[in-house]
Amino acid sequence: MTTTQDQSSTNSGAASSEAAEKRTVRFRIQRCLGPNKPAHWEAFDVPILAGEGANVISCLQYIARRPITADGKETDPVVWDSGCLEEVCGACTMIVNGQVRQSCSCLIDNEAPNDGDVISLQPMSKFPVVRDLWVDRQRMFHNLKRAHAWTPIDGLHDRGAGPQETAKNQETRYIFSTCMTCGCCLEACPQFLLVDEPAKWDESFVGANTIGQVRLFNLHPTAKEEAGERLEVLMGPGGVSDCGNAQNCVKVCPKEIPLTEGIAAMGRATTVKAVKQFFTGE
Amino acid sequence: MANRSGEQRVIVIGGGLAGLSATARLVEQGLKVDLFSLVPVKRSHSVCAQGGINACNEIARQQGFSEWMHMDETLYGGDFLADQPPVYEMTHWAPKIIDLLDRMGVPFNRTSEGYRDLRLFGGSLFRRTHFSGATTGQQLLYALDEQVRRAEVDGNVTKYEFWEMLWPALEGEGDGRRCVGIVAQDMRTMQIRAFPAEAVVIATGGCGLIFGRSTNSVMCNGAAAARCYKAGAWYANGEFIQVHPTAIPGADKCRLMSESARGEGGRLWVPRQPGDTRDPRQIPEGERLYFLEEKYPKYGNLVPRDIASREIFDICVNQNMGIGGERMVYLDLTHKSREELDRKLKGILEIYEKFAGQDPREVPMKIFPAVHYSMGGLWTTYTREVREPDPIMDRDCGVDEVVGMKLGAPNTMMTNIAGLFALGEVSFAYHGATRLGANALLSCIFDGLFAGIGIKNYVAENTDRPAHSVNNTVFDDLIKREEQKMQRLIKTAQKGAGNPETNPYQIGREMGREMEGAATVVKFAGGLNPALEKIRELRERWSRVQLTDSGMWTNQNLSYTRALGDMLALAEVIVLGGVKREESRGSHYRTDFLKRDDARFLKTTVAEYEPETCSANIFYREVDAPMVKPRERSYGKSGDAKPAPEKEKQTAGAT
Amino acid sequence: MTEHQTPLSKHHFLLRRLHSLSGIVPIGAFLITHLITNSSIVWGKLGGAQHGGDGGMATFQHEVNFIHSMPFLLLIEVFGLWLPIAFHSVLGVYYATTGRGNVGSYRFQANWRYSLQRLTGYFGLIFIFYHVATLRWGWDFLPFTNVFIAEEAASTTALALRGGLEGGLIGGVVVGGVYLIGITALVYHFANGLWTAAITWGLTTSAAAQKRWGYVCAGLGAALMLAGWSAYVGFVTLDIDEARAVEAALHGPAEGARSANSDLSADAGRLERE
Repeated sequence: MTTTQDQSSTNSGAASSEAAEKRTVRFRIQRCLGPNKPAHWEAFDVPILAGEGANVISCLQYIARRPITADGKETDPVVWDSGCLEEVCGACTMIVNGQVRQSCSCLIDNEAPNDGDVISLQPMSKFPVVRDLWVDRQRMFHNLKRAHAWTPIDGLHDRGAGPQETAKNQETRYIFSTCMTCGCCLEACPQFLLVDEPAKWDESFVGANTIGQVRLFNLHPTAKEEAGERLEVLMGPGGVSDCGNAQNCVKVCPKEIPLTEGIAAMGRATTVKAVKQFFTGE
Repeated sequence: MANRSGEQRVIVIGGGLAGLSATARLVEQGLKVDLFSLVPVKRSHSVCAQGGINACNEIARQQGFSEWMHMDETLYGGDFLADQPPVYEMTHWAPKIIDLLDRMGVPFNRTSEGYRDLRLFGGSLFRRTHFSGATTGQQLLYALDEQVRRAEVDGNVTKYEFWEMLWPALEGEGDGRRCVGIVAQDMRTMQIRAFPAEAVVIATGGCGLIFGRSTNSVMCNGAAAARCYKAGAWYANGEFIQVHPTAIPGADKCRLMSESARGEGGRLWVPRQPGDTRDPRQIPEGERLYFLEEKYPKYGNLVPRDIASREIFDICVNQNMGIGGERMVYLDLTHKSREELDRKLKGILEIYEKFAGQDPREVPMKIFPAVHYSMGGLWTTYTREVREPDPIMDRDCGVDEVVGMKLGAPNTMMTNIAGLFALGEVSFAYHGATRLGANALLSCIFDGLFAGIGIKNYVAENTDRPAHSVNNTVFDDLIKREEQKMQRLIKTAQKGAGNPETNPYQIGREMGREMEGAATVVKFAGGLNPALEKIRELRERWSRVQLTDSGMWTNQNLSYTRALGDMLALAEVIVLGGVKREESRGSHYRTDFLKRDDARFLKTTVAEYEPETCSANIFYREVDAPMVKPRERSYGKSGDAKPAPEKEKQTAGAT
Repeated sequence: MTEHQTPLSKHHFLLRRLHSLSGIVPIGAFLITHLITNSSIVWGKLGGAQHGGDGGMATFQHEVNFIHSMPFLLLIEVFGLWLPIAFHSVLGVYYATTGRGNVGSYRFQANWRYSLQRLTGYFGLIFIFYHVATLRWGWDFLPFTNVFIAEEAASTTALALRGGLEGGLIGGVVVGGVYLIGITALVYHFANGLWTAAITWGLTTSAAAQKRWGYVCAGLGAALMLAGWSAYVGFVTLDIDEARAVEAALHGPAEGARSANSDLSADAGRLERE
């Protein structure tokens, strides 16, 4: 991280002194026409102006305007998913040079500072491909349903303020509540695998983000009411005990959510629940 | 054909704060909802809002604040162009909405005693802004998303994510005309389907994409609103576009840089020598032009938002003194100590670091104004309700009666087409000529919660003519038309770069440049009229547009091109409204008409689409202003209660 | 959740936790005692020579005698060791197949440990089987084996680790390699498993606690590694004749206290040497 930043600042310094310095970056993009279609690679050359703030998205926009491969072949424009472009919606997640991340916050001046540098783009591998770089992450939202990821309020009518909450509890909840369901933690997780069939989702590993959401809701005075149901899910197949503690999730999380602490906390909660169940039968 | 069962279903298009709160309310009212969105609703543009959400609260009340004052601030901020009853209702519901969000589990920042914390924000001397870290919009959106997911599990909501609304389905003529559903397309399979419904809610947000790069998300193209407009819905106050002075220009979009950077001492400057390409750190003090400090010795860098935007624009566009000839100026914090910057501004400086790739503590930031929010939108109505002033909420209001909106009236937030409702940013209501910081989140959520009850009553009123009884040809004809439209475009597909003249992305780029240049910060007839010509030229070129993707699976090229045609219609509305509004008001600043002209233009601009000419017909409607008399909007000038720096800080973190 | 539950999915949580638990008690606990016992060949020297030799052999023989004097040894072995190991192995292999390592893309330290945990599990399982089969069950049809005799603990172990009587250099290297890697793998598997277990059970719920506990586990692992390796070195370097002498002295040669399963190859070895 620090090294790339150092590089970028020297680059931009050089760039501003020599006026807009132009270079070409080659994009190798893993393409796929649709679900269950074979994948293939195509290369595109994109001209970059140092210091203009180019990111992977702006390069994909360039390719969309001019879908011609590096060897001059005319091809279909590349399809990708994006939204806010501020790293807060999670849509544009893909694999850039082998690492999962949001493509909007991937600056070309950092990732490919020199003329002729190559950036490879691949769709996330843990979700079915829709087309090219666009994947279908419905399973993540399905898992939120599995986990009762909501506060069971009575209704929308006015009933006064919610429960008081300590600043400490709010801080713990807040960080988990910044999870944008981007799927980085799942892509990097060796225990979370591609499951094509929705019928099998309920038996498959929920992954770090959902466990984090259970942590979030089980900390809220009202949402706690359904804590038992949530823990039940985490104790079933695909629950928290399927975690293999590779801890990649916390390393790749763009929001730096303490996912492994959430996992451990849910480990404790399920342990306590199991012991209680054993002795009280509840 | 869906939903022929006779079940009462309502369609909501858009899953941001407005769409989700409407969905939750409609479900609570016993209706089933089909929720359409271009993106999974949790990724809607509302996530981008940072600052907070305004509402009167007990602390502020004890210091003299009230709902009435919140309304007054909103109207004043909006230069009195907003209809007052909706603003009255919104501000008076605000505290209840905060309570509700609180109950939903939004992690609002807390005081040490465990109460909701408050921050000082735009246009007020009172702490009336509730916040959740620096991601309030995200937190509110997630809370509503969760409630809707719960309703989805209960079988009351069906989500159609990655579906694009193509056209509203209308039946009947004249007064009998009403909206009975939509035609939509699955963006993955490209399937086009009709969805009948008892009522249709448009909550599709802003239209920033029309201006090329804006602070908006990529799906905020305004196409859904444009389609409703082309189908006959009125579009109001289109010329009012909020431009945020300090954004980080990126190659793909502009990201907000909070004004608190200037509040903490940030200085705006450009090299005195135009086109100077030296490293900013090597440019000596004497060769720098601190243009705001020179022109406004009193307020310096802390002049109000619209003035700052205009001056930056002037320096770069008219005087061509932007950095390296580009449209950028320096926002310099490097004279401050690292420690102080980290203590006060860490969060926003990190955003700059992440997206600009430079450390703003070492190198001056490069910023430029960016299109941020559309005050205009589909025209909506309501039913007035005259009441006695509330002794607490309307303390010191100075009027004998107040006028709010009647709860549950079937026309609440209805467009001029029966059964077609518009909520949130896509509606023109609430914000007048400029939106106040931290009022956007409030207006969206309020809209959904308040109008939801009216929509339910509209549905109840029309049970004798349910959507499933509508003649099938209404839907079949629309499907056929949309399929033909698609096929026409698909058939133009030509591999490769094609002709820039007919390349959709090129047309889109030129539209963005033209709109940004002519219809944002500074407007005048000499810029607006050529823009109108340019739009007409682009429309002609669009009619000959050539796609690059002929595929019938996930064809984003088609989606974009089709939307582009509709965006051009809205672009015309925005420019034409600007041409005709010969005054300066709020965000609409005409160099050829510098004064506000209440006699001629204290009116709502309404654009109606004329199918014959394919262009807009503009007319005006009176503003409903029964409570607060318009007064001069003089932020920052001496004698005014609200000092400029205060205003700056508040609008800074706004959505 | 689903209608048709398999026993595996119905008792998912219980099985997962028993798998975790069984790795610590009894298997891990046994590993500790086993390595301590074996390393007595080295640390036994600290007490000095009392019954001849360097003291290590006698101490080791003493330890082995204690174990073999336990009542119902076979039952203890079957239910306390072999079945838990089988349980831990079968489930472990099954669980391991539910993941796909990705250290190629994500070269984080914890990710390496994740992959190593599975790798050491596989190898450890093969090693344990080989180790028990040759030294406990007397499967001498495998190459480079030597049967362990409890009464001649040090000498037969030493011979076994050198690849048997006829192993020569190759046998010594092969068996030695297998043992060294096997011990290392199992110690790693245990130490790292102890670290993950603390997360699984929810004992270390903060990143800081996980780090601290990581140092403890690493320390324990290093100590066990030292014990295992030193035991190996101790056996490989000991003088077999001296060991026999010590063993004979301890048991008294006249008593002929050789157990029934004492076996011909050992006799043959002795004869040959004489």
